[in-house]
This record gives sequence, structure tokens and C-alpha cells, in this order.
Amino acid sequence: MADLSIEVQEVDGVAVLLPAGFINAHTVRDFEEAMEALVKGGRYTILLNCRDLSYISSAGLGAIMGLIETVREHGGDILLSNLQENVFAIFDTLGFTQLYRVFGDQGEALAAAAPERKG
Amino acid sequence: MDHAQFRLVIPSQTRYLNLVTGLAKRAALVAGMDDATAAKVSIAVDEAVTNVILHAYHGEGEHSVELEVRFTEVALEIHILHTGQGIRQDQVVLPDPKEYIKHPRKGGLGLLLMSRFMDEVSFKEDGGSGRNECCLIKKIG
Repeated sequence: MADLSIEVQEVDGVAVLLPAGFINAHTVRDFEEAMEALVKGGRYTILLNCRDLSYISSAGLGAIMGLIETVREHGGDILLSNLQENVFAIFDTLGFTQLYRVFGDQGEALAAAAPERKG
Repeated sequence: MDHAQFRLVIPSQTRYLNLVTGLAKRAALVAGMDDATAAKVSIAVDEAVTNVILHAYHGEGEHSVELEVRFTEVALEIHILHTGQGIRQDQVVLPDPKEYIKHPRKGGLGLLLMSRFMDEVSFKEDGGSGRNECCLIKKIG
């Protein structure tokens, strides 16, 4: 099984990215390329549904950090949902839950993203 | 009582990170830690080994990274040894998370995660032997 697979969906006008597996220094480039492709395609509101993400290291956090300013400058945002306990612990320990909006499930995140979609 | 320990040597390539973090997590569970704590130990080991591969060895894949796992009565110790560019304890600077959030940028978070998730993180640079070490300690209980 690959360390990381990434599925991209379009749901209610929001780009939903579903990484499955591990994001570390070995797999981060694939994750980064998937995120960058969305932004280059003008998708500035991105939901990371982390239901199948077992693990993310600082390499993955850096990839998200690297795009957050760009998407917000364009009126969008990066939202997170369905974080497993250990993934949430990483974001929370570093105080990133203040920087990103974190939702329990995809439906809540999509509802919160509605104003950005209209903009 | 003798303290159990074992060693694993991997090539300095990120493709082996998953192997190492899996081992670290299992070792933490064997030491008696719960799942959440074991996950934190595995993240800290990922960060430490990644630092060795990318920074100490500058991404060169033909070197070795040695992990020595020691089980003591009070803690799990993971020593990461290498012959790449060393770092001394006084060179370690942890970013301030509040400042980091105000000014987002790539990088700099690995050491912070290691220090938050482990009880002790220390670095030794041995100029004589050329062997350098990062030591991670998680207390049991």
C-alpha cells in the first residue's frame, strides 16, 4: 500500500481534498502538488477532509502553511475536518487550531465555507 | 534488572520514515504507554530522523541513521545516531508558536513538536569520533 494517496472531490463548489495515509517528508511533495494544483486552478477555498489521514509531520504542516496566505489573499481559506485524535493533537499542540478553522465533519465545514463560495 | 535495548540501522532515505515511526510507536506501546502517547513518540522520532536525513546529511541517501531504543524502568529512550553535520544543544532555538502563527512560513516546527511531545530532547556533537546524537526520552506513567 502506498504511504499516501490523495483524492480530490468537488462538493457544493468547494474543493475537497482527502489525503489517506501518512504525510511526512517522504510523501509531502505529492500533498503539496495536489494543493498547489488546486490553487493554480483558482480554487482558493479548500477543505482538507482528514478522515483517512493517520499521521502528519511538520513537513505536511509546512505545506499547508505555505499556501494559507495565498488563498486568504484571494478571499478563500483552508479548512480542516474529521481530524483523528493524534492529527488534532499535532495541530492543537502548536496552536494551529487558532490559525485554521477545524470542524467535526465535512458537512459543518461546507456550511461554514458558504460565504467564501459566494465571494 | 537489565535494561532491554535494540538497534535499527536504516539508509538515510525518507522512504524508511514510515518503518521507523511504526517501530517507535510499537516500542512506546511495549513500554506501557497508551495509544495517544505512543503516537506522539512516533511523531517526535519522525521529526528527529527527518532532520538527520535532510539537514545533517543534506538529503544524501547513501549514509546510515542508527536508532537505539532503550527500555528502562522509568522511561523509553530513543537515541538517533549519525555521522552527518552535528548540532550542539546551545545551537537549538525553538520557534515561538504565537509568533509563528502571526507570521506563517514553511519549516521550523519539527524541533517544537519534538520538545512538546517528549519529556527530554538533547543533542550531542562529538567532534572527535564524528558521531552525533539526538536523544529523545519519554517517561513512563
